[in-house]
Amino acid sequence: MTAPQQQNLTIEQALGQANAHWNAGQADQAERLCQQVLALWPGQSDALHLMGLMAHAYGNVDLAIDHLRRACQAPRAPAIYLSNLAEMCRQGGHLAEAEQAGRRAIAMDATLVAGWNNLGIILQEAGKLEESLTCLQRVVALQPDYAEAHNNLGNTLKRLGRLDQARVEYEQALKLAPNYAEALSNLANLLNDLGQLDEALSLARRAIDANPRLSDAYINAAAVEVSRDRYEDALRWVDSLLTYAPLHVGALGVRATILRRLGRLDVAVMDARRAVAAAPDNGEALNILGEVLQAQDKTDEALAAFDRAAQLPGLVREKALINRGVVLMEQGDRDGAKAAFDHVLAQFPRSVSAWFNLADLHHFTPGDPAIAGMEALLGSDGLQVRADRIALHFAIGKAWLDAGDTERAFTHLDEGNRQKRATFTYDSAAIDRWISEIVAAFPSEMFARPRAATAGSDLAVFVVGMPRSGTTLVEQILASHPAIFGAGEQAIMQNLVNQAGGFPAIARHLTSENEVVLGNHYLDAIRPLAGNHRRLVDKMPSNFLFAGLINRILPEARIIHVQRDPVDTCLSCYTKLFMREQLFSYDQGELACFYRNYERLMEHWRSVLPADRFIEVRYEDIVADIEPQARRLTDFCGLDWSPACIDFHQTSRTIRTASLNQVRTPLYSSSIGRWRRYARHLGPLLEGLGIDPEFAAVSEELGGAKPKRSGKPAVKGAEKSVGAH
Amino acid sequence: MVRPLLAGGGGAISLWALLARALRVQGRVAEARPIQEMLVDALPGHFPTRFDLSETLLLLGEFERGWREYTYRYSLAHTSRIERKVQRPRWDGRPIPGQTLLIYDEQGYGDTFQFMRMVAWAKVRSQAHVVLEINHEMASIARRMGGFDAITLRGELPPPFDLHCEMMSLPMAMGLRLSDLPGDPMPYLSALPDRRAAWRKRLEPYSGLKVACLWAGRPTHMNDANRSMSLVQLAPLAQEGVTFFSIQKGPTESDALMPPPGMNLISLSPEIRDFEDTAAILSEVDLLISIDSSPVHLAGALGRPAWVLLPLLPDWRWLQGRDDTPWYPSVRLFRQTEWGRWDQVIDRVAAALVERKRGR
Repeated sequence: MTAPQQQNLTIEQALGQANAHWNAGQADQAERLCQQVLALWPGQSDALHLMGLMAHAYGNVDLAIDHLRRACQAPRAPAIYLSNLAEMCRQGGHLAEAEQAGRRAIAMDATLVAGWNNLGIILQEAGKLEESLTCLQRVVALQPDYAEAHNNLGNTLKRLGRLDQARVEYEQALKLAPNYAEALSNLANLLNDLGQLDEALSLARRAIDANPRLSDAYINAAAVEVSRDRYEDALRWVDSLLTYAPLHVGALGVRATILRRLGRLDVAVMDARRAVAAAPDNGEALNILGEVLQAQDKTDEALAAFDRAAQLPGLVREKALINRGVVLMEQGDRDGAKAAFDHVLAQFPRSVSAWFNLADLHHFTPGDPAIAGMEALLGSDGLQVRADRIALHFAIGKAWLDAGDTERAFTHLDEGNRQKRATFTYDSAAIDRWISEIVAAFPSEMFARPRAATAGSDLAVFVVGMPRSGTTLVEQILASHPAIFGAGEQAIMQNLVNQAGGFPAIARHLTSENEVVLGNHYLDAIRPLAGNHRRLVDKMPSNFLFAGLINRILPEARIIHVQRDPVDTCLSCYTKLFMREQLFSYDQGELACFYRNYERLMEHWRSVLPADRFIEVRYEDIVADIEPQARRLTDFCGLDWSPACIDFHQTSRTIRTASLNQVRTPLYSSSIGRWRRYARHLGPLLEGLGIDPEFAAVSEELGGAKPKRSGKPAVKGAEKSVGAH
Repeated sequence: MVRPLLAGGGGAISLWALLARALRVQGRVAEARPIQEMLVDALPGHFPTRFDLSETLLLLGEFERGWREYTYRYSLAHTSRIERKVQRPRWDGRPIPGQTLLIYDEQGYGDTFQFMRMVAWAKVRSQAHVVLEINHEMASIARRMGGFDAITLRGELPPPFDLHCEMMSLPMAMGLRLSDLPGDPMPYLSALPDRRAAWRKRLEPYSGLKVACLWAGRPTHMNDANRSMSLVQLAPLAQEGVTFFSIQKGPTESDALMPPPGMNLISLSPEIRDFEDTAAILSEVDLLISIDSSPVHLAGALGRPAWVLLPLLPDWRWLQGRDDTPWYPSVRLFRQTEWGRWDQVIDRVAAALVERKRGR
């Protein structure tokens, strides 16, 4: 089957035949002819170029680059060879060399369409977007029916934030080539940013249909699921991609991020490290590793990763610099953090993350130019990514609250919440049923059974309650005690419950043996964090759901329930855009409904949990006079008094919750009864909580007496004085 | 064994894949199909799963998606290296008047015999100048078939062309349906007249029903253990008034020199030089009895009678639950009904042979 030995061919003839064989997919014959040419004329440019193209077609990019580099060393190497070298260098991750070769190509031949196209993609990847735009616009002008060029132009426009124009280009590409997988996938990504999630997912599916190995399409599909807070579905897309490309850097990075959000940090860090090992100069991978390390409280390592990522070329610089600022913020370095965000804004004036974080650190005054700066970004020439616009509404809302313009503040807060709420489905009635199931699954008889024989469970102290109720403050007070370690918000209980069959289904399996197994699971996870400390505080607020379970599996563990005025708590939730999913928090009615369910469940725990393991503390009491409450808490934890607990804001430690900038300031009583000023904007919330706004208005005049609540008599948590346990 | 683990609809993907494979081996293809479809849905980029699904769908006669998934035949661990990377677009079935279309054969001889009928159809559909590239062994038969404008041999440099299509991608490109089969013309191949004359003379001295036979395929075929038999297993076919002619090629051809006792078997194998000889023999005998191998397809393409002995899970081209085949009107199928039980098949073939003799 081999071709007859070619005799007496000139080099030109041999090259002509080699090209023709390769055109017909006859790689062996083409290679043999190239080798014959190279034996006669080592370094012959055309033969090396063809060898490079063939190596590339067989997936060997490194070898292809090697051949093309040598092909381009010939004095008469044409522009197209340099242009091909540029593209293969880009694919091989050598961006600097790619850019150099690409520029040489168009300098040699300014009419070379492929040259402008390749350089345009390289510059896009290097983050030189304006220049990339010029290149790609030229390509489209030279060859208007070139679908790939429209797609590439769309990508650059997208990265420039010009989503409308990007969309036009993607759609043009798809008009020219309806099953063009890359364009389908890119349009999916764009629609995800615009919040058109159903359409985005269906386009990603079509992209995968057209090219089942288009990895970006899987990653974009996963991104849509993340936008909907469907993390398990997102993981399925990523795992599907990893079955055929186990070392795909992007996929490992996305999986690490999802797992981090799910609190599965041990697995997340493995994925992130594998991604960095596979591509050491990939800024995205380094940035993701930094984020996981940050979540693991490995601050120095995290900072090192962010710093390295910020030095690499490409689009990750902004993210890495922001993450650096967030680390400083978490460590209490307000000035450093502020400077970091200002630094980002100087380079990337449209960086929403910088504005969003800065807004939290900054106290705005009327006429503050920063407010105008943020509002401009919502204008017609402003930001188009839905998640960015949502974050901006919350930041501007916060700014106007600072500046005292309630009307404007709530215009933005309502809009931000409305848009966020539109991104996911949430069923209040299901929560209602679920809480009833929990109450039924943990009847008082269960707590009359003998305690589980879990040893050493008095290490654990849980601080629970609604988000924004003061759990961070209580943890900070406790963690200031030398014998207590503050571990922050740990997802351990949630993960344990997920693995053990869900909640409250797990209650059916609570035999005395299982209780010990589950308890030890938890203790094994926290012991390495606790070091020599006698107590460890896990302040995941949502552990209030599991209080009964905690008491069964960790009989010596202490549970501290932090209470705060219901309206202040809910208002605080409503004005906050959470990083973790708090799906109940973006609609006043749903928020109120969730709150009442929370109260109902806590009432149940109050009636069944033993008094020496369950205590309640009111945020307002701490603010009014901290020392008695701090003493109560240390007593409850079985520890001697430490004066450090009342100087908590000087404690140096990493805090990572929505309240992190507040606990750094001395106690502020301005946060008490704060809501009365805004009652006019809280109609559905007050109604849902059963609070009469009329009475609220009156009580404001009367100097802030506690409002009376109407509605279901069962709901009384707020007025009930907390029994001293 | 894996069923209870999957009863709830959850379970690891690898277990589902195992269940699908287990069902297929047992011939329970219709049960395997929804599982395989689910697997492809979950892992669209896992090409071996897609290829497995294509075989199931084609076996069930679901041509449309079957041919589409069949494109993944070159995306498997052992095939990706042999995929031909033609640097021109693949023909998608649309008319391309004035352009040149290169169609080339790719897999076993049987595949080429079966699908070469589509070359002429592709020429009509494409209105293109069609170049057929074919393996050396079949070139002379192919030349007589017609339906193309030029022919070139595998490995030689073809003339310049604009589009290409693998022979077995023609069904996908042209949207081949079961109802299009067997198509026109039928038969589409013919034997050489002077070779026929020579073989007629060679076979003349033997009396009774003349039956060509073979029992083993190419041993390197993926499914060979499943499809091949031994000569001894054919022994019950021996009966008065039937002369068998072995056209077996390969390692077992010399077995015919020592036929099972009572079997009137003449070996023609050493005298067969090429497919032209095989075609002429098939045109001169009364019947071919064979396992699933390329001479079956040659007989079918020639319109000559052939009986095919099939394992419980046959190749997809034989479909399921029927003893005829839409591909070849002159071919009759004898299927295993229990895994590995060739003896039962042979008993049915022997009975049919008695009938056939009577009707002669």
